[in-house]
Amino acid sequence: MFDDPQSYLWLIPFLPLLGSAIIAVFGKKFLRGWSHVPCIVGAVAACGLSVLAMTAVQSGHDNVVWRSLTWFQAGDVDVKLSLRLDALTAVMLVTVTFIGSWIAIYASSYMHGDPGYHRFFAAVSLFLASMTGLVLANNFIVLYACWEGVGLCSYLLVGFWFAKPSAAAAARKAFLVTRLGDIGLFLGILILWSISGYSLEYDVVFRLAAAPEHRDLLAWACVFLFLGAVGKSAQFPLHVWLPDAMEGPSPVSALIHAATMVTAGVYLVARCTPLFQLVPDVQAYVAVTGAFTALLAGTIALTQTDLKRVLAYSTVSQLGYMFLALGSGLMYKNLAAYAVAAAIFHLVTHAFFKALLFLGAGSVMHAMGDVIDMRRFSGLRKVLPTTHWTFLIGSAALAGFPLLSGFWSKDEILAVVHGASSDNPHAAIYFFCFLAAMVTAGMTAFYTFRAYFMTFWGPEKIPQEAYSHHHGHADHDDHAHDHHGHGHGNHHAAPTHASAEPAKSHFESGEVMLWPLRVLAVGALLVGIVLGPTHLFFDFLQNHWMKTSVGFVDPKVTLEVHHNIPIMVGSVLFGLAGIGLAYLAYVKRPSLAAELKNSAKFLYHWSLNKFYLDELFYALFVQPLAGLAQMLRMVDHYLVDGLVDAVAQIPVVFARAARPIQNGLVQFYAVLMALGLAGLLIAILLR
Amino acid sequence: MSSLALENYLIVGALLFVLGMIGFLTRRNMIIMFLSAELMLQGVSINLLAFSRFRGHLGGQALVMFILTVAACEAAIALAMILVLYRSRRTLDVSVWQDLREPTVDPILDPEPDLPIAPAPMPKLTPSGVEPKQPHETSHV
Repeated sequence: MFDDPQSYLWLIPFLPLLGSAIIAVFGKKFLRGWSHVPCIVGAVAACGLSVLAMTAVQSGHDNVVWRSLTWFQAGDVDVKLSLRLDALTAVMLVTVTFIGSWIAIYASSYMHGDPGYHRFFAAVSLFLASMTGLVLANNFIVLYACWEGVGLCSYLLVGFWFAKPSAAAAARKAFLVTRLGDIGLFLGILILWSISGYSLEYDVVFRLAAAPEHRDLLAWACVFLFLGAVGKSAQFPLHVWLPDAMEGPSPVSALIHAATMVTAGVYLVARCTPLFQLVPDVQAYVAVTGAFTALLAGTIALTQTDLKRVLAYSTVSQLGYMFLALGSGLMYKNLAAYAVAAAIFHLVTHAFFKALLFLGAGSVMHAMGDVIDMRRFSGLRKVLPTTHWTFLIGSAALAGFPLLSGFWSKDEILAVVHGASSDNPHAAIYFFCFLAAMVTAGMTAFYTFRAYFMTFWGPEKIPQEAYSHHHGHADHDDHAHDHHGHGHGNHHAAPTHASAEPAKSHFESGEVMLWPLRVLAVGALLVGIVLGPTHLFFDFLQNHWMKTSVGFVDPKVTLEVHHNIPIMVGSVLFGLAGIGLAYLAYVKRPSLAAELKNSAKFLYHWSLNKFYLDELFYALFVQPLAGLAQMLRMVDHYLVDGLVDAVAQIPVVFARAARPIQNGLVQFYAVLMALGLAGLLIAILLR
Repeated sequence: MSSLALENYLIVGALLFVLGMIGFLTRRNMIIMFLSAELMLQGVSINLLAFSRFRGHLGGQALVMFILTVAACEAAIALAMILVLYRSRRTLDVSVWQDLREPTVDPILDPEPDLPIAPAPMPKLTPSGVEPKQPHETSHV
């Protein structure tokens, strides 16, 4: 049964979906503290099948299409629930399910004791199902459906603590802002549908939409598709939802930022490379958006004091890198294949270290009694030893420290952009993008290590909440223990809950939370060096996706991996300079940070307040729309309701005339009946 | 058998119906009204039977069977309802229920005064219980 991927492909999204359904139905009443089991089992099983699918792709099943179900049919439109498997899908699947599994395991301890435990895991499982469905889809409608499913789950999870007004607002913002992008995606799909002879299958679209006479419409379609990606992957100007999405629980942040959700946009553009590479103007637009977002988010991240917000802006920035790479996939220079591979490579390495960083931040938050403001704790490297060294690995990987995973993928992207910045009409644009990417690399290193040093170095400072939190937590646990019997052996083995113990290590999270950190740290260390310089990743994508997929213009060109030594050295220097500056300003001479702040007060405030973009959008869009809504409310209230009320008065007038005959005398009614009958008879007789 | 003409039966039926209707419209005692309604039903039944007999068609008789059944059910329900109404107002006069009219309509009052109702005589009970001891009768003969 496992020889042919067709036989188990559908199980990959189905198993998490089933897990979600089981938790949703039985979670509240029966599973309760065991609600994580179906979610983890579903995710791990999906991960196993994904690895199996990847080996199948490697052994030649690299253009598998599974289409056994018709979803709906109307006239010429025949939409099938079809799935496809190629190298791109396999890579995405393994990344999503692997990271997702570890996040689910981590969350089973992190969310322990939350009243919404079952709700959380039902949503996480559904999230994984949507995301795997999204990358497996073989036509745009299935992709769109899963895309919306991902949006829905992000809404449910960001607003998980919906009783908190800020969480509810963040969830609404995430949903509405990504919805703006979704409109673009839908318009793009409609344009593609019309120019490809009313088909939505990838292969047909890529073949027919490439016809030269459709080039203008195709450009618009690509712009709209990219708009969808901008919303989902939080690029400027729709990036504003992602930092606010930190209101959700930390595992959700990890899930959204690393494995699911934000990678959907990158995947979409990568999947549509055959279309994008035909319209270089749009590609330049993609690249500029990516570079600008990377620079903007990096600048904002420099001054944030909320640990998770620093990481959130760094995600926005790194996604900008990926789009910059995707936008640099120019056909002139046979860069397309290489650029896409670099973007996907960065997506994979980023998934590892960003999930690691978010889970580490969650571990800090868990230990510090839900305090996440970096000014309120410091010097935690002795208090949280395991969290400390895993966080350090994650930070180094993100900062592009040599030989760690972020270094390899970031270097590929810089090489691609540099390659694009000559011999083409947009060369100047790409050159500026390249400069922006280099500067961003330095800033990334600085803000990452700023966060690291502020959290783990300096004098040891633990906020008061940490103590009370642990006390309360232990109480709660005893309580839970009475109810659930022996159900939570492994949670109780964790030192976190032994509140009586005076040792400092009791702040450290439990083993269930530390193992995902260790595993992801190993990933962040090794993924880059195993897959990058060995060309494993690039060959895999090229041989089993680009060469076999329809519409790639230059699939035959071999990927010459541009290990551009000057660029490599340059980016490393930028990175090390950033790390050194952070060390200087936050460990060696803490006064330096304040001096810098004072000397560039204006810039500092712009960065701290996110360039006032939220306020700008509020004034430009939210308030006019609120005014319009208020006006329409008036129209509805006075005009529409008034008309309806006026019509409703007509029967009242008639009723007033007929009211006296209801006088309550039975005989009177009988007389009226008799007279009426007589009148009817007379009328019939005289007719 | 068919010596009497159809009209005779119809006249009897019509008379019964009209008598019932007059009774229904003029009396206020709910039981009398109910009986009048039954009378109307019987008038209709005779009408149907007569037509059935003279036209040699059994449909009319079938309908009469239905009327009998319905009348029986109706008697059960109507009497039960009359009982309930009587219990709540302690009178069988249907005009006391005219307060179920529309709130804005004025009540219709009977201009004739009520006849004074003679108090019911106290019931005479047959003696019961242990018979008191009587002096033993002895014969003096």
